[in-house]
Formats: sequence, structure tokens, C-alpha cells
Amino acid sequence: MASTGLSSSNSSSSSYDLSFKILLIGDSGVGKSSLLVTFISNSVEDLSPTIGVDFKIKLLTVGGKKLKLTIWDTAGQERFRTLTSSYYRGAQGIVLVYDVTRRETFTDLSDIWAKEVELYSTNQDCVKMLVGNKVDKESERVVSKEEGMTLAEELGSLFLECSARTRENVEQCFEELALKIMEVPSLLEEGSAVGKRNILKQKQVHHTSGGGCCS
Amino acid sequence: MFNSTSGNNKKRVPDWLNSSLWSSSPPPPPASPSPKSSPNDVVADRGVKSTPATSAKSSVQKAEASKYEPPAPAPPKVAVTAPPAVVVRAEAPKVEAQDLLGSQGRYYSSEDDEEDGARSNVDAVADTASEASAAVTVSSPVSAARPASSAAEDISRQAQLLQELSRKVINMGELRRLASQGIPDGAGIRATVWKLLLGYLPCDRSLWSSELAKKRSQYEHFKEELLMNPSEITRRLEKSSLKNDELDGEDKGFLSRSEITHDEHPLSLGKTSIWNQFFQDTEVIEQIDRDVNRTHPDMNFFSGDSSFAKSNQDSLRNILIVFAKLNPGIRYVQGMNEILAPLFYVFRSDPNEENAVSAEADTFFCFVELLSGFRDHFCQQLDNSVVGIRSTITRLSLLLKEHDEELWRHLEMTTKVNPQFYAFRWITLLLTQEFNFADSLFIWDTLLSDPEGLQETLLRICCAMLIIIRRRLLAGDFTANLKLLQHYPPTNISHLLYVANKLRTHPAG
Repeated sequence: MASTGLSSSNSSSSSYDLSFKILLIGDSGVGKSSLLVTFISNSVEDLSPTIGVDFKIKLLTVGGKKLKLTIWDTAGQERFRTLTSSYYRGAQGIVLVYDVTRRETFTDLSDIWAKEVELYSTNQDCVKMLVGNKVDKESERVVSKEEGMTLAEELGSLFLECSARTRENVEQCFEELALKIMEVPSLLEEGSAVGKRNILKQKQVHHTSGGGCCS
Repeated sequence: MFNSTSGNNKKRVPDWLNSSLWSSSPPPPPASPSPKSSPNDVVADRGVKSTPATSAKSSVQKAEASKYEPPAPAPPKVAVTAPPAVVVRAEAPKVEAQDLLGSQGRYYSSEDDEEDGARSNVDAVADTASEASAAVTVSSPVSAARPASSAAEDISRQAQLLQELSRKVINMGELRRLASQGIPDGAGIRATVWKLLLGYLPCDRSLWSSELAKKRSQYEHFKEELLMNPSEITRRLEKSSLKNDELDGEDKGFLSRSEITHDEHPLSLGKTSIWNQFFQDTEVIEQIDRDVNRTHPDMNFFSGDSSFAKSNQDSLRNILIVFAKLNPGIRYVQGMNEILAPLFYVFRSDPNEENAVSAEADTFFCFVELLSGFRDHFCQQLDNSVVGIRSTITRLSLLLKEHDEELWRHLEMTTKVNPQFYAFRWITLLLTQEFNFADSLFIWDTLLSDPEGLQETLLRICCAMLIIIRRRLLAGDFTANLKLLQHYPPTNISHLLYVANKLRTHPAG
């Protein structure tokens, strides 16, 4: 329903302490959009492939702080990679997703995606999270949890296995990432700068409500 | 799965699109789904067709829209009739509307005028449009909010189109003019008209049957050649070499071993090996499979466990594989499935059974034709060239700047919304993901028929999409604007096309 649009326009104007930009990357069909939709709307849906980039907002409270996460969901197919580069700019967190039932999606993370991150991420301290999705299909699993943990260690990233379909670990994924981001002083500073601007802007809006916007 | 409860309103599909009766009216050979209990009268009267369902839905959408967007120009739902969009070029039957509109002189809403006087141009044509149509509309209540037009008008346009289609040699100019006003669903008109517009059917009717037969057999040929797996190819090679051997070896009385060249061994690493090719293809085919399976997951026509949906998915899959193999420079790019879907849906739903059965072949050629106009958008190597997607997005940006500089400045300078973030999908997918399916078809009628060509028309419509929500955009920050543009609100399509049409000539100012 259009209520998502409504609640978000409300939420984007409601107050928050910190604002972070999160990027979702990984091969096509690993379930990036499904993870995000599950996280945002608590519903499990069948989705069309993402073309270009999709953008969603989630407000949540983590560690006593009100957070606004703007999450950028990217297209997985190689064709779109020349365009993805601009999405990395300013991201404080990057979620690298693979499908535990398709090995190539796992190997592509180290062969391709981790390199993209190095190349395009503008944030030295940016927090990474490795996510093995589709653990509900246990019988089809080809990438073990241990392998996932090993790769996470190599990449210096957090690690979780989850299922967008059963919702297992989906919220944890974003919450842990947010917590970790808040532990990094430089990122925390970036996030709170936006938060302050937001509060300031809200005051202005209240003062000038009804006025023209381009004065 | 979550067919009707999808939380995504822009993709909401009207019930009539999902009616199996509707989509497979003359039961086609691939087992069609068990007819659902959809009311017969909806299907029976093609003239009035879907309108009850559609209008109910879209008036709800509209109600929602206006609820969320008080300042937006959401016209009163009773009044949405004539696509004044095209009135400019159309003669009958909307003379009154034309006059009314003409007398308006310029076209932004009175609200806007009060608010900020002679602001740039084009906001809120809806107000004038709805005024105009209010004056004309006395149509049946059922058809109230169908963006296309009133049922009565649908019927008259349907008659005009049918008349045009019955000519010995079709007048393409006239056909374009009629089609650009939206093609009424039913009687397979849209299928035939799209085939003509895409140049798949020649203007001369007497050539249709031979042309179709030729193309359809050609496609069967492609499939035979290209969808065969390597062991089949090897087997055939063996067979043919065996034949030669039989000829040579007849006298000698022994069978020679069949020759499989080193290159054609499955473990060969040679680049030319059919097996190497096969493994590469497998990757593409897996990608195609994944995407075909999630094409319009909210429509029974494309999705679900019915054999009808399965056979439709198979057709999409075949077309995409054949295309990928015939076009190694592009192969398969995500999103092609989305562009294919409307074509296949329309052709497969043709009440003419012969056409419906050959929908796959017809769709293939029309898809090739459609893509030929903007295939460069799918080509990564051309992203930064003048024909690539970036350059097309820049053209959209310039078009907006030309028509509404204030909005352009706010979007790109003030809120820093890179047009690529939303327009990439709008343009590469020909707006198929921004509106519900029925509305997309309506937009495509215009895209395919406009004499200015698909790309120009598409850019004008995209620009109009920005302009008709300019007020919300001007009030929004980066986040609000990007969200709004990535999840475009339900819109009166006639109004959108009307504004787009206004952008054709330089507005008087």
C-alpha cells in the first residue's frame, strides 16, 4: 500500500540522533532486496529483480540511540557495476550478501565484490558485514558456516547467516552492523553530524512552514 | 504466493488482468488454468471490458493519492475521461475538450497561481484537464476512473481502430494517431496494432499471412538450432560423419569410429569448443531462469504453479535465450524480462487463437524490433558514450531544465538527487516498473505510436512525471525526493500523457 510512502515521509521528518548510509551488494539473486524488504516491512514478498538501485529508509533504536538507516539496494548483475560505483560514496556500512546454496555467489564476494569495495568505498573505516542468505534451504546448502566465518575474518568483516524468507537473523544483521558503526569514532561523528543538521532543519521548517521553498 | 497482498501499490495488478478467463479467452493449447470465478459479464462485454475492476482500483488509488498529497493535482475521480493528452492532435470526438483546453491558454493550476504567481510552467494540468473532461463526461459510472477514457469513448475508438485495421493497406499515420490515444483492451486490437507499429506486420494486409508464416517458421528454426544442448549437437555430428563413413566404408565392411574432433570433447579447454560455449551459456541461462521466475510475481499470468503460467515462463525463457545467443554482444541483461513481459502478455492474450498460439515467435521479433531502438542502453561498454544510458539520462535532465528550471535546480543542485538514481530504471525498463501493469500498457500505446519515436516520447513522459509532482518534489529533501521518484505515486495516466504531450512544443511561457 501507499502507507510505506506515508510512514517514510513521516519518518524522514521525525527526529533521530544518528543517520547512517548502508549499502547492500552481492551477485544477482542472492536475496539482497528480499533481506531489505523483510527488514523494512516485516513482510516476505516475491520481488522483481532490482534494476539500477533501490533506496529505503529504516528508523530503529539501537543501544539507546535513535537511528535512521538509509539503505541502498543495488543490482547484482555485472552490467550494472559501472553505475554502482557512485553508490559507495559516503557509506558507513556495507553488507556483502551471498547465497549459501550457490557457491559462485560466495567466491564472487572475494573475487569481485571485496575489490569493488576497496576501489570505490570512500570511507577508510567503513564497517563490513558478510551475510550468508537462504539458510532456510539447509538441504541445498553448499557453503558451510565455517567457510563463511573464514572469509569474514579475511575481509575483516562481521558475519551472520540468515534467511529473508523465515526472517531468521535479518534484524540482527542490521542491528549488529549499526552497533559496530557506532563504535567507530569517525563514523559516529559523520552520523551525528547528519543528525544535528536534521534537528536544525526541522526547527527551520517549523519556523517557515508554508513559505516558498526557493526563497 | 503473495499475489494479491503485495504491499507494493505501484505494482498492484487489477483483478481483471489476473482473470484467467480474460487472459486466455479462447482456450489455447498449452493447458490453460482452471477458470476462476470471475464474473462472466466482465469478460462478455469487451467494450466495457475491465472497467469495473480497474476503475474501482484506480479510484481507490486516486483516493489514496489525494489523501497523501493534498496539494497534488488529483482530479475528481468522476471526471477523468478523455485523454486530453492527445486532443491536440486528435480531431473528433473531443472537440469540446479541445476548446476548453485551448481557452485555458496556459496550463498550471489556479492554486499555483495564487501561491506563487507566474512560476515556471507546467504544474497541475489536471485541474484544467479535469475541468475539461467534467464538461464532457456524462459517461457510465462504471468507467469513471479508468485513465484511458470513458467506456463509450473506448467503444468508439475501438470501432475506429477496427475500421482502420480492416483496410487493405493500413494508413500508418492514422493508426498512430488513433493508437496514441490509448488502445481499448479487447478484440485483440492492441496485439495487432503493436505488431504494426513495430513493423512486424506490413501495412498491406494481403501480406500478413505469408509474412507471419515466414517469421514463425524462422523462429522455430532459431529455437531448433539454438536451444539444443551440446550432446545433441555432438550426436548429430556423429550421425552425419557416420553417414559419410557408411558411404566410404560400405565395401570395406567395417564400421569406423565416429570422429569427435579434439575440440569438441567435453573436457576440451579450447575456446571454440561447443562445450566451452555451453558452459558460458549455462551461466546466462541460469540468470535468465532466475529472472523469468520473478517476472511479475504478482500476476497469475506470469507467476504461480498453474501450467498456464509455466508455459508462459517457458516462452519468456526461450525468447531471452534465443536473443542472447543471436546477440553475443549484449546477451542477456537484467530488465529485458520486464520489457518482454508486456509484449508477450498482449500477444498471448489475443482472442485470435492462431495468433495466441504463435505469441512466442511474434513476441521474439517484436522484442528485437523494440530493442533495436535503444539496445545501447543495455550495453555496459557504451555507458559513457553518446548513445549510452548516461547520455540519455543527461538528455532527460536537460529536458527538465528547459521546461522547469526551478524544479531541475531543486532536484539536482539543492537536494542533489542524481537523476541516475531513478531515471536509470525508468528509461531502461520503458516505465514498466513504475506503474501497475494495465497502466504500463496504456503508456506503451503512446510510446509505440508516437511519430517522434520511442526515445523522444519516453523522455517527454519521464519529464512529465517529474513535473506533475513538482510541488512535492520542491518541498522534499534528498531522502523524500529519492523515495518519491523510486516509488512513483499512483497517477492518472491520461493526465501524465497530456502533460508529456504539452512538452512536445516549446511552451508559450
